[in-house]
Amino acid sequence: MGTIEVKGLTRAFKDTIAVDQIDLTIDHGELVVLLGPSGCGKTTLLRMIAGILEPTGGAICLDGRDITALPAKRRDIAMVFQSYALYPHLSVYKNLAFPLGVRRLPKAEVDRRVREVAASLEIDALLDRKPKQLSGGQRQRVAVGRALVRDPQAFLMDEPLSNLDATLRTQTRQELVHLHQRLGATFVYVTHDQVEAMTMATQIVVLNQGRIEQAGPPSQVYDSPASVFVAGFVGSPAMNLMPARVVGRDGFVELVGEDFTAPLWPGQTDPLEVTFGVRPEHLRLLDGPAGADVEFHLVVDAVENLGHEEAVYGRAEGARVCLRRPRDGAATPRGLSRVGLDRRHLHIFDRASGRRLEWVPDAPNQAEPTPPPPQHALAGVG
Amino acid sequence: MFITLEPSLDVAPAPPLAPGDRRPGDRDAAAGTPPTPVWAKAGPGGRAGRTASDKASAPAKRLWARRVVPYLYVLPATALLLTWSYKPLVETFQLSAYDWNLLPTSPKTFVGLENFVEAVTLPEVGRALTNTLVYIAALAVFSLVLPLVIGLAAQQVRGRWKTFYQALIFVPFLLTPVATSAVWRWLWADEGGLIPLALRALGLEVGAVFRDPQLAIVAIIVAVGWQLLGFGVLVVSAGMAGISPDYAAAAALDGAGWGRITARVTLPLLSPTLVFLGLMTVLLAAPWTFSLLDMITKGGPVDSTTNIYYILYQFGFQSFDAGLSAALGVIFFIGFGLVALVFVEATERLSFYDD
Ligand SMILES: Nc1ncnc2c1ncn2[C@@H]1O[C@H](COP(=O)(O)OP(=O)(O)OP(=O)(O)O)[C@@H](O)[C@H]1O
Ligand SMILES: [Mg+2]
Repeated sequence: MGTIEVKGLTRAFKDTIAVDQIDLTIDHGELVVLLGPSGCGKTTLLRMIAGILEPTGGAICLDGRDITALPAKRRDIAMVFQSYALYPHLSVYKNLAFPLGVRRLPKAEVDRRVREVAASLEIDALLDRKPKQLSGGQRQRVAVGRALVRDPQAFLMDEPLSNLDATLRTQTRQELVHLHQRLGATFVYVTHDQVEAMTMATQIVVLNQGRIEQAGPPSQVYDSPASVFVAGFVGSPAMNLMPARVVGRDGFVELVGEDFTAPLWPGQTDPLEVTFGVRPEHLRLLDGPAGADVEFHLVVDAVENLGHEEAVYGRAEGARVCLRRPRDGAATPRGLSRVGLDRRHLHIFDRASGRRLEWVPDAPNQAEPTPPPPQHALAGVG
Repeated sequence: MFITLEPSLDVAPAPPLAPGDRRPGDRDAAAGTPPTPVWAKAGPGGRAGRTASDKASAPAKRLWARRVVPYLYVLPATALLLTWSYKPLVETFQLSAYDWNLLPTSPKTFVGLENFVEAVTLPEVGRALTNTLVYIAALAVFSLVLPLVIGLAAQQVRGRWKTFYQALIFVPFLLTPVATSAVWRWLWADEGGLIPLALRALGLEVGAVFRDPQLAIVAIIVAVGWQLLGFGVLVVSAGMAGISPDYAAAAALDGAGWGRITARVTLPLLSPTLVFLGLMTVLLAAPWTFSLLDMITKGGPVDSTTNIYYILYQFGFQSFDAGLSAALGVIFFIGFGLVALVFVEATERLSFYDD
């Protein structure tokens, strides 16, 4: 088993707080991706779970047992370092055998497991080489292999693919997912590459400045980002975010932007400053008579041909806007265009707090949009 | 019908040439540079014409500078090395075959290998050699063993005090040997010296240390060792700082305790540093002790503290036997040269290029 539970975990370095009171539960067998911009505390959090960095506050539990004070060597957690940290003076074989030698396993057993793992990672031809004689991808496999040989409770990986080129990265990504499915072990995987996060994770934890912005399955993080930060960080090109207001008028809740007013739902609300967002693939050019729930104008600046689709960049009142559409041979838009989106693709965030606002259809007396409660525990979600 | 599209390497087609218009490339080709594509031409009456005339002299000048300037940089160092190291070295080899008393007026007599025969048979030389080995072994404790122990222990100390302690240990290395010699002579003085007093309190009677053939060498070793300790600690801690902490962290996660991490990870990765310190000790044990010998014991009593450098100096500049001194110099030069080769080879083998 490998259920990791983190309670109020904090790490301060002199005057910076790298990890700020994080609560998180990682269920056995999940592949949790810690995602966030550089410096948000991903490595710090991972190192504290591994036991090679002492927290300044909070607790870590493994399968219900408090391991906060347990030294790294007794935690039974394996970690793949961003630098790989392969022992440079030992051959690949000895690198793989190191964790087993420490456990005083019989020689034959060590040999069997090293060769088994080496075969499964296709590094059995490299066993006699020193790390410096390996390519980046091969080193990465050896680093994973050294974690695999000992069959730990959980695997921690700190940006293991960041040194690889694009092709190898995609390939290794798939191998790691496959490995996770085969082992059924708990993986905690750090990255700032959102493609990696979306494709590999069973759960994504988005971190920002040492705090959790959102935790949930990839589809939830993408489809209903819990804050402006998540909305802008997850997705490429990023979600379009524009200032607007919601007001209640004549029994309707309306979204009022710089150059448009769109009725959204029947109901009542006090006026509220918001940021509204729409993903580039949900915006469409309105060149026919058909309209949309929300419409505004756009001055097209540039059109990028991405091969499988095209990205149209332009300026709306108050923001730069991007939209993506299939390359179906339609005329390339130029100049002033009308664009629109459907109500269901609209994301609304409170301007002051940055949190997501969700519209709950009116119960007779209650018309206030309420933000969903922040939910960080991954247990049972998805 | 299908038509095959050939991959085209042209980024932009060259416009057709007007009659009489020459591509700048034609001229450039003569100057040895690749032809410039015509669409890169700067403009009417533009740079194409001007650069063509400069190009004839400028590359030649640049080429000359590129050839010569590096030699100018190494010239001062080379000149100094030649004057102060290699010329005397060659002269030492020459001198070792002559009998000469250093007086410019007296003649040099060719004696062949006689000086070498004398050098290897003299009992003083044997004693000096034995002492030198004792110095090397004993000083290795201060320059290698203790620094390693201190370095490993300092891993446990964290924060700003670590730097402070290191600085404290390093300071003796910065003091001039002549000054410290004087201080050590007071410290060991049989009348009122601090060390004999302290030892007396412990019930040990040492007497006049520098006149005791057994104890004099110990006193010298302690004094030089005290200076070397800081140097060793500094080199060891620099070596340790060069080892990524990720290795120790990885080993800890692999289940290794402090002892195993030290034995299997830290020490092997530190071994090039240790080999370097070993080499320094072997090569420099004799020079390091030289100034104390000259200041305090003059190699005595009865040659009990002398070493090969000091004896060489005595033969040359006190007995004025230049030939014998040169012969000894040649022997030590070759001997230490071989030792250095072995160590350099070992360092090569032990370097893992941590990358
Ligand atoms: N040893 C340290 N001393 C002081 N500050 C530190 C130390 N380690 C990390 N920090 C700070 O803590 C914050 C989080 O660092 P961390 O390494 O966890 O970021 P990260 O999310 O892993 O970033 P990246 O994606 O760039 O690896 C940063 O602001 C960093 O400057
Ligand atoms: Mg990091």
